[in-house]
Amino acid sequence: MRSIRRSDARGVALGLCLLCAFCALAACGDPRSGPRWRGAHDDAEQTPRRGGTFVFHHESDVRGFDPAVSFDELSTMGIRLLFDCLLDYDYEMNLVPSLAEALPEISEDGKTFTFRLRHGVRFHNGRELTADDVRWSLERMLNPDLASPGVEYFARLDGMADFATKRTAHVRGIVVVDRYTVRFTLTQPDQTFLNAIAMPFAAPVPRENYGPDDEEVSRHPVGTGPFTLEDWEPGIRVTFRRNPRYWQPGKPYVDQMLFELNLQRETAFMRFIAGDLDHVHRLTPADRMFLAQSRAWAPYREEHIKADLWGLELNTGMEPFSNVHLRRAVAFVVDRERWSLARNRALAPLGQALPIGFAGYDAHLPGSQTRDLARAREEMRLAGHPDGLADPVTLWIGEGATGKMYGELAQANLAEIGIRVELKPVSFPIYLRETGKPRTAQMVFGGWNQDFPDPATFFDPLFHSRSAKDTDSSNRSFYKNPELDALLDQARAERDRTRRTALYREANQIVTRDAPWAFLFSNIMVEAWQPYVRNYRVHPVWSNAFRDVWLDLPRRRIAQRYAPHAGTPAALMPFGGAR
Amino acid sequence: MIELLIKRAAWAVLVLFVVVSSVFFLANYIGDPASAILGAQATPAQREQYRRAHGLDRPLSEQYVKYLIGVAHGDLGKSLKDEQPVVEVLLQRLPRTALLGSMALFFELCIGLGFGIFAAVRRNTWVDTTVMSAAFVGVCLPSFVTGPFFLREIAFRLGWFPVGGYGRDALDHVYHAVLPALTLAIIGAATYARVMRSEMIEMLRADFVRTARAKGATATAVVLRHAARNALLPIVTMLGLSLPLIVTGAIITEKIYDWPGVGRLAIESIDALDLPMILGIVLLASMTVQVGNFLADISVAALDPRIRANAKS
Repeated sequence: MRSIRRSDARGVALGLCLLCAFCALAACGDPRSGPRWRGAHDDAEQTPRRGGTFVFHHESDVRGFDPAVSFDELSTMGIRLLFDCLLDYDYEMNLVPSLAEALPEISEDGKTFTFRLRHGVRFHNGRELTADDVRWSLERMLNPDLASPGVEYFARLDGMADFATKRTAHVRGIVVVDRYTVRFTLTQPDQTFLNAIAMPFAAPVPRENYGPDDEEVSRHPVGTGPFTLEDWEPGIRVTFRRNPRYWQPGKPYVDQMLFELNLQRETAFMRFIAGDLDHVHRLTPADRMFLAQSRAWAPYREEHIKADLWGLELNTGMEPFSNVHLRRAVAFVVDRERWSLARNRALAPLGQALPIGFAGYDAHLPGSQTRDLARAREEMRLAGHPDGLADPVTLWIGEGATGKMYGELAQANLAEIGIRVELKPVSFPIYLRETGKPRTAQMVFGGWNQDFPDPATFFDPLFHSRSAKDTDSSNRSFYKNPELDALLDQARAERDRTRRTALYREANQIVTRDAPWAFLFSNIMVEAWQPYVRNYRVHPVWSNAFRDVWLDLPRRRIAQRYAPHAGTPAALMPFGGAR
Repeated sequence: MIELLIKRAAWAVLVLFVVVSSVFFLANYIGDPASAILGAQATPAQREQYRRAHGLDRPLSEQYVKYLIGVAHGDLGKSLKDEQPVVEVLLQRLPRTALLGSMALFFELCIGLGFGIFAAVRRNTWVDTTVMSAAFVGVCLPSFVTGPFFLREIAFRLGWFPVGGYGRDALDHVYHAVLPALTLAIIGAATYARVMRSEMIEMLRADFVRTARAKGATATAVVLRHAARNALLPIVTMLGLSLPLIVTGAIITEKIYDWPGVGRLAIESIDALDLPMILGIVLLASMTVQVGNFLADISVAALDPRIRANAKS
């Protein structure tokens, strides 16, 4: 008996020692404090170098690379490598010509747009791009059989109704003038048509590769872009290869791009620090703080405000928020600073209908929504509820920890003016279905991303009465204001940029004052890249615009890094083995 | 034997049918794939068009019958998410999960049996106590604790292994699989160690072991050739039951290590409400469970003459 007990004690002691030793071992190693590899020329050599493989990632999955149907951030990242459009955006959100020789000639009435194509642009299959391809590709996308989500952006093309019902074989409003000229005619003047043309939906594709029988076009994309698709392992990795026929001489610079899919945030960041990934984004709060505090990484990271809009959507079509004073009370009581703090300052507080930096955004907008408790109480009094509401209000939020946190913040804020909030967390599909119905959700926590960099991308879907429908409404506050509608329609047609911006500023003021939304924030995004990644900047329209990057690495290291794993595994040389 | 086979096969088909049917209707009840896949900003028209293009606007019964006919022909449809054929994707993912699973099994057996025998031979000493307390801790450690811990400490901080991923060639795949396989193996190894130890203690007391000792066999030979061999019987049963793990694997571990196998595919498909893919995975999983059970039964019967005799009489 005695001996057993003693041996027990020894065993437990030994186990504890081992455990302590392991913890100590784990704790003493220092996480790599700075970039593992620097550029070959740290004094920022400016001549681009050819070659190498660039590796980037995303936390979710690509759906396909057919520009006519794929419409999500992720697919767009790939599509932007494979395809060009007639127009593109520069880093100041201005439209610039791409496959078009110049910006189009626009007729006096603002309804006709004439594009001249660049000569000598070739598809990946070697054939030259002509005006006929532009028309064919657009008509392919607009064809009702393809069920493309892009159709709505081109709804104002002349003859769309006939084409959609298959009464005509071609869209009347698309005319091939000659080999390199194509002309578009609209039914009403609409400046956002140019934005539509710059969307990937309008990317020209060669008809010989996109026949009706080619079932797998989204897996075998052919375009005019700087890269071709080499390999696609679904859910895992996409490999892009440099297009030697690219129309911009010398570009692109890297030979290969690897797009790693479905990486978890935590793992992706560790892999980035370990040098496996060249670019990292969508960080966890902890990694974000590490990057923000790291001096070594400071030159290689960028923080920017995303062009999105988040807020509490207050249903103006049902009690109690049909009362404008109640809506304003909510808009004045939400403490945007506190929301931002709760997310480690990953949110940029916002009190108006356009994200910071967007055309029409006004830092000094009169009547912009800010935290003002006295004013909120005054509005409650005007609403006839000086002591708050008797009945609780239901707030619809998405499932999950983040949605719940936002819900609780709203609860705490609104309690200050006597509005009790009950949370209704629902799964995403149900959230979409139910909040899109009138007289269903009193209050919704929701957001909207830009489709293109023009204020219309927010105002028309969110606040135009046209967008308040019986099902799947995008105007989920069911806000209807004829004055605003007229203003928005006028702005859409206005060709003069200054006047357009002024109109949208006015619209912004109306929406901010009437408070169909209590605006809350835009997200702040953080990206970082390896020191040897050159020529990368955060693009205000395209997330992760990597087409023009080049790698400032000695060739030997590039080769070493991406050769199939050979030689001694690092496990056999634990300290200082090159990966 | 043949009669048993046919009976088993019939049962398997019935089970598969019930499983697939219930998953089919449950998943359709959960939500609308068009919304899940197109996202928040899709317009109603876009969603409608999507449903039409993928046959989701047809009555549920019609979709169901169509799916069953497809399954009978070996066609599991196409992924709603990226239009890839389900069978193709499963075949691509299966070998990877199999690699991970078999490595995990290998580690489980090496560690578990080794320590089990060791502890039994030195029973009631400090060695035994240490091994058994370690096994006790191991059984209690879920992979979502050990996984991130290994990943952060061993792969990231110490840099001995790659930080997740799958690698580029055969050797590299194995190298990438070591940590996830270890993570997977811990619980199993601990279980095997406990079972093996108690079996071994039993065997070391048995008459035939005493006889072997009396005949002058060396200590090693007695332990390994005589005792351990006979102690393996329950282990074989356990092994058969853990076979499905190799295929359907380790959903959590694969997710933690970004290992592109069937488990990660399952999570991704459920996230996207990718019905054909979910059904494909469920089918595969229930099939392997059937096969695993069947193999376990057969192998035990083959190993132990007593069971064979009972089955006959």
